[in-house]
Amino acid sequence: MPKLTKKDLRKSWLNWAMYNLSSMSFEKLEAHGFAHSMIPIIKKLYKDDPEEYRKALERHSVFHNVEPQVGSVINGITASMEEERANGKDIDDDIFVSVKTSTMGPLSGIGDSTIQGILIPVLLSIAMAISSSGNPLGVLLYMVGYVSIAGWLSYFLYMRGYQLGVNSIDTIVGEGSERLRDAFNILGILVIGGLAASFVKLSTAIEIPNGEETLVLQETLDSFFPGLLGLISVIFSWYLIAKKRISATKVLLILIGISIVGVLLGIF
Amino acid sequence: MDIILMIQALAIGIFCYLGSVSSPWLLGVTGGYYTIGRPLVAGLIIGIILGDVTTGIILGVAVQAAFIATISTGGTQNQEITYAAYGGIALGILAEASTGVTVTLSVGIGVLGLFLHNLMMVLNSGWNRRAENAAKKGDAQGIARNNGIYPQIVNFLLRVIPIGLAVYLGEGFVKAFLDFVPDKVTHMMDVLGGLLPALGIALLMNLLIREKSHFIFFVTGFAFIVFISNNMIALTIFSLLIAYVIYLVASNSTPSPISDDDEVI
Repeated sequence: MPKLTKKDLRKSWLNWAMYNLSSMSFEKLEAHGFAHSMIPIIKKLYKDDPEEYRKALERHSVFHNVEPQVGSVINGITASMEEERANGKDIDDDIFVSVKTSTMGPLSGIGDSTIQGILIPVLLSIAMAISSSGNPLGVLLYMVGYVSIAGWLSYFLYMRGYQLGVNSIDTIVGEGSERLRDAFNILGILVIGGLAASFVKLSTAIEIPNGEETLVLQETLDSFFPGLLGLISVIFSWYLIAKKRISATKVLLILIGISIVGVLLGIF
Repeated sequence: MDIILMIQALAIGIFCYLGSVSSPWLLGVTGGYYTIGRPLVAGLIIGIILGDVTTGIILGVAVQAAFIATISTGGTQNQEITYAAYGGIALGILAEASTGVTVTLSVGIGVLGLFLHNLMMVLNSGWNRRAENAAKKGDAQGIARNNGIYPQIVNFLLRVIPIGLAVYLGEGFVKAFLDFVPDKVTHMMDVLGGLLPALGIALLMNLLIREKSHFIFFVTGFAFIVFISNNMIALTIFSLLIAYVIYLVASNSTPSPISDDDEVI
């Protein structure tokens, strides 16, 4: 009975972690990265059966697209399914395809919103605050922090996928995890509010003649709400994107237009 | 020929390659794209290479703020972040540009970089076909080479050559340009540099704010920094507390599952 060892699983995880996007193209994305990660598994399980070996390589060379660090759970699940198949259980190609296609979507949604939407911006916000006057400590903190959290997560989820099979998906999409993600979501929103206050910089150059003196508008604004113009520009951009469904590229062009016209009119 | 600048330009190009989304060598995207590829980290690396760490980091922070939301899926990308970071920050240091000018420069280079990135993805279709054929023949070695190694040669050249040349030749060009343009234009770039983070943050809000009521947390975070304490670590600890309270409330208010037998009419 062919059995996968910890070493095979580690090799397979490492192949995935490294090569998931290394031959990315528009039509196949992570297809061959997935096959690459299955090589150590297939070599072990089908070394005495060239036909099965060939079929297994082919079956894992199909379109694949998932957030790679969270998506490693699918590789773990697939490894455990291949092991069962090699030991005689009746698992045909369609089951592999349906497990992959039904998990890719939800996992990507969760992976993108928690990693790119919360984890990275929160770590960056702290690091940028420490490093804003040139101190390397914040940068180093981000590097160590991100690599250890995301590297551990990817490894942990692969092994979890192997141990629990399809049930492991519940670890990520289940109710308990949903509550945790909702809480982290609030954390993310609070921190990006602070990020906006620190990094969106807009001030007006308008001066209003007031009898003998001139009133510097920016000083007046600062006296009751510092950063108000920055806040307004964020809310304006968000309104365009979320409510008016305007693309990011168009918003970029609008901001360029505002900068040009604003400077020409002497507002900024 | 300036040998030192040439070596520096080459080194910056190599790090731009290592931080690219498809480079496998630093544990894939984990140590690459999401670590070395971030403008904040690029600032430190370029600062070390060019011998001005403080300026490098300050410019890195500014460019990072504009690229805070690089969400590669689910939204159309309009710039490529690693080209933007390595090209923009390096030229910013060499031309002694302000943060606003450096950010604007990065955005421009990022737009050009996206063309090169898309070109790589088109060329990869060829390697994909070879990997497919290898799989059909049962050749595992062929899959590994055509997935992991050969496409990287193309990716390496598409990053090291343009970024290396831009850094090597761009210094004088950018300096001359900044001397030539009127102050008003430089001022526009500074205004834009301060305004661009608003777009990135808006994209993040679009991802995170799922209910209207969430908006109040955004304003709270903003007000905390502006009115209470300009300290991001303090805000993070405060946010952790709020998140924990919300988690507790959500856990307690979830009704325990009722089986059909217990149903009372």
